[in-house]
Amino acid sequence: MVSPEMQKLAEERAARMKAANELKEPDRVPFSGLGGDIIAAYAGISSYEYNFDFEKNRQAIIKWNTDFPADSPQGGVGGLDNLSLSVAFVDFPDLANSIFMLNGPMNDVLDMKFARFPGRQLDEYSSPQFIGGKNMEPEEYDELIADPQKFAYEKILPRISNNLQDMSSPKALATMARLGMVKAQQAAELMKTGQALAELGFPSGGGFGFGFAPLDYIGDHLRDLPNVVLDIRKYPDKVKAATRSILEVLFKLAMQNQHADTIMFPLHLNEYLSPKLYNEFYWPTLKEFILRLAENGKKSSLFCEGWHDPHLETFLELPAGWGRAMFEKTDVRKAKKILQGHTVIQGGIDVGVVISGTPAKIDEYMKALLGDMMPGGGYICGPNVGNLPRETPIENVAAVYEAIEKYGKY
Amino acid sequence: MREQLLKSFVDMDEQEAVKIARELVETDGGAVAVLDTCKEAMEEVGRLFEAGEYFLSELIAAGDMFNQIMEFTLPKLQGEEVASLGTMVLGTVQGDVHNIGKDIFKVMAEASGINVIDIGIDVPHEKFVEAIKEHKPELVGMCCLITLGVDSMKRTIEVIKEAGLRDDIKIIIGGGRVSQAVMEHVGADAWADDAARGVRLSKELLGKE
Amino acid sequence: MVSPEMQKLAEERAARMQAARELKEPDRVPFTGLGGDVIAAYAGITAYEYQFDFEKSRAAVLKWLKDFPSDSAMIGAGGLDCLPLAVAFSDFPDLAGGFMVVNGPMNDILKMKFARFPGRELDENSSPQFIGRSNMDPSEYDELIANPQKFAYEKILPRLSDNFKDLNSPLALATMARAGLERVRQGAEMAKTMAAIAELGYPFGPAGGLSYAPLDFIGDHLRDIPNTVLDLRRYPDKVKAATESILEVLFKLATANPNVASVGFPLHLNEYLSPELYKEFYWPTLKEFVLRLAEKGIKSSMFCEGWHDPHLETLLELPAGWGTAMFEKTDVRKAKKVLQGHTVVQGGIDVGVVISGTPAQIDEYIKQLLDDMMPGGGFILGANVGNLPRNTPIENIAAVYEAVEKYGKY
Repeated sequence: MVSPEMQKLAEERAARMKAANELKEPDRVPFSGLGGDIIAAYAGISSYEYNFDFEKNRQAIIKWNTDFPADSPQGGVGGLDNLSLSVAFVDFPDLANSIFMLNGPMNDVLDMKFARFPGRQLDEYSSPQFIGGKNMEPEEYDELIADPQKFAYEKILPRISNNLQDMSSPKALATMARLGMVKAQQAAELMKTGQALAELGFPSGGGFGFGFAPLDYIGDHLRDLPNVVLDIRKYPDKVKAATRSILEVLFKLAMQNQHADTIMFPLHLNEYLSPKLYNEFYWPTLKEFILRLAENGKKSSLFCEGWHDPHLETFLELPAGWGRAMFEKTDVRKAKKILQGHTVIQGGIDVGVVISGTPAKIDEYMKALLGDMMPGGGYICGPNVGNLPRETPIENVAAVYEAIEKYGKY
Repeated sequence: MREQLLKSFVDMDEQEAVKIARELVETDGGAVAVLDTCKEAMEEVGRLFEAGEYFLSELIAAGDMFNQIMEFTLPKLQGEEVASLGTMVLGTVQGDVHNIGKDIFKVMAEASGINVIDIGIDVPHEKFVEAIKEHKPELVGMCCLITLGVDSMKRTIEVIKEAGLRDDIKIIIGGGRVSQAVMEHVGADAWADDAARGVRLSKELLGKE
Repeated sequence: MVSPEMQKLAEERAARMQAARELKEPDRVPFTGLGGDVIAAYAGITAYEYQFDFEKSRAAVLKWLKDFPSDSAMIGAGGLDCLPLAVAFSDFPDLAGGFMVVNGPMNDILKMKFARFPGRELDENSSPQFIGRSNMDPSEYDELIANPQKFAYEKILPRLSDNFKDLNSPLALATMARAGLERVRQGAEMAKTMAAIAELGYPFGPAGGLSYAPLDFIGDHLRDIPNTVLDLRRYPDKVKAATESILEVLFKLATANPNVASVGFPLHLNEYLSPELYKEFYWPTLKEFVLRLAEKGIKSSMFCEGWHDPHLETLLELPAGWGTAMFEKTDVRKAKKVLQGHTVVQGGIDVGVVISGTPAQIDEYIKQLLDDMMPGGGFILGANVGNLPRNTPIENIAAVYEAVEKYGKY
């Protein structure tokens, strides 16, 4: 049971996040918390255990969030994005969204060629890793354009999953049944974890779903990154038409997730593209995606991987209050100058500083960051990437949390 | 030829029986002879069943032979007066969707000369009433396989009573799970847990034996 | 938690069953209890609720077992046997066992054409029903003989459900994923029910399995019963060869779970066949099945549907102690004469008497039955069929339990 005290704490945390998401100033700067591989290390378990043993995973998450409480809980079951499978089963909304992320036990069932998990293909202390690969020939663009769902089902799945190579085989059907069983087991486990986090005063509800920029789907899952940037030049019309077809199916997927009020987009090709190419091939369908979500009352949250500076102004084409942008290498101060009052900014803590700094340096770093970023509101403090490595000094992690307490009040 | 047909039919020699019947039916008066012989054979198969010599598989095989032979015999009987022992409305009661027992009984009852109106499976109580009003049968047959059918037969008979039709008809219940006790419980006139007994008792209820 | 008192009760009940199964006299005649549709009616719920709402069916079962305690607990709302699915996936032992039986919620997913459930295809107070239909042409016997697993997968599954009409389709794969999810969900519900039943002092013995006489697999699932009995005459060699092939895959399935201690066989075609046909087509592979199980230390139990009298002696071809025979219409007194000291006899209570008798008649009926059947042991008292209809008078049921108390002591 959630105690009244923890219930109150959860409401405060939710209100803090909500104020920032509405571009206002809360009572204190909302802090998304630090996490990643360090959570398993802190609990004394391997990444393999963290990814495959849900009981240990839950204990590690509870310990971490008890000792390092932020405004949203940290930790989960690490996963790799598994978009082709969701696209292939987009006509089955009860399934499609639940298989969007591939975790370790799911991959034991599916045996995806792009996936590497600790204790399986990787050392047991490694992080789960996505290995891009070319799964489609350029001659197949027309098929992709005609029906991305059919294409993902018929052409891509047999190429990416060792167990779905022959889709008409008992093995393929058995694999799906096993996938369902694993998902049901995990759902029960995750519910327990969610309950434990609620007892620690973390707000529940307001779930999030995943989206993808249509060109990223081509880059990550179909043609691989180097090929897609060549395709843009060699087959520009095909690529453009493909992003439009893909937008439809991805939008359908995102809308199927009724519990999600926010759709998260990890951007990948943004850093590879000049503003000219970005504006021609990447941004139009991503922008339309966000606009359509907004029309349906859903916010978007973009994680702008790498260096996003050349594309910052494009956000201003979206209506104020559309959502949130998280930055990795782009300076949040620079982003704030352009986006203040229009786009919520999240990030700011360079994990490199947390890994290699000292508590005193970190205190100073955080003080300066918050001093610059808090005024005016619409800012959520968090790391620039989601994963702190296992070796991160705990005293440095503690220093970040203490600095938030010290300097975070409005 | 009639004797050969009778023998091969009763001996379950399907190919031989069908072959002889095909020949016989083409002779003068052959169609009536085939019909009568097959009826006699069905009756004999029923007797052997009740004597414990034949089993359900023989009833099914006999029914299948009968249907095969009738398929080419009945068209040749058009215009002939075929005597009927009486009319029976037959159905599996509401809630039960099984049909094997009913179908075995039906072909044997038809072979015995009963005009069977098959109203199907999972038959609502009211549909029995409507069928009785429409076809004015002497006999109503209710089948069930599952024990749930017992409740359903009881209610069907109550509904028939309420419609004021109970005194006009005799009711026989049939199926794997009926018994003397069940018959008394639901208020029927006869019971049978196999098709041969069912046909014999139906004929008795029609006053024909 | 199971109280020590209830733990003791469970041990007594288990010992009672165990003694009878070893052909001995226990302290009291073991009684499997009565059950079926009446359990739902007694709890004031529909057959539909009993089948589809696990919370309600659990409450109904618990109420029943509390008010009408016996030596074994009948759990769950029952289902229909779905053997072809298990055969199709017999190479996947982790899955196949769970596909033997389909219940209401599972059939919402699988949409098997042979299945009828209350509140779906049937009235909400009807019993689940299996509707045999022909799913195979006689010209396909050779394919069946060559590889029953392949045949069940490629030919039968698509005919059993439109969801598998095209095995290589998103619908077929999604159906399997949903079936996997549903199984785990039901497994969790079943575990809750079993824990609650254990608290009432009911023992749970080692795992039991379900299988079929090979000819019944043909009769119920492939050719339907009328066609099968015709096939015996038309294609005797094919049918015989098919039963031999089917035996192999069914044996593999039955022994896939290494913890299985007993296998139940519901016999269907027994009543249809003369002793000659029974001994030629039905019994040889069933006998070999039972013998092979016995070699592995697994007991069998046969539910001899209908009238089994002509085949009683065949049971003596099995080694003494092979297992249990349950009878429907065959007089258990007659069976006892033939089988005493060799085969455990189960049954005896004609549900027709329970439905339509009076308490006084039932008292007398049970007294006589127990007088005749108890001496010498090896007898388990139970109903001749598993299902008492909803309107069964409760005072008649109570009369059975009281009579067992009164007359059941050795």
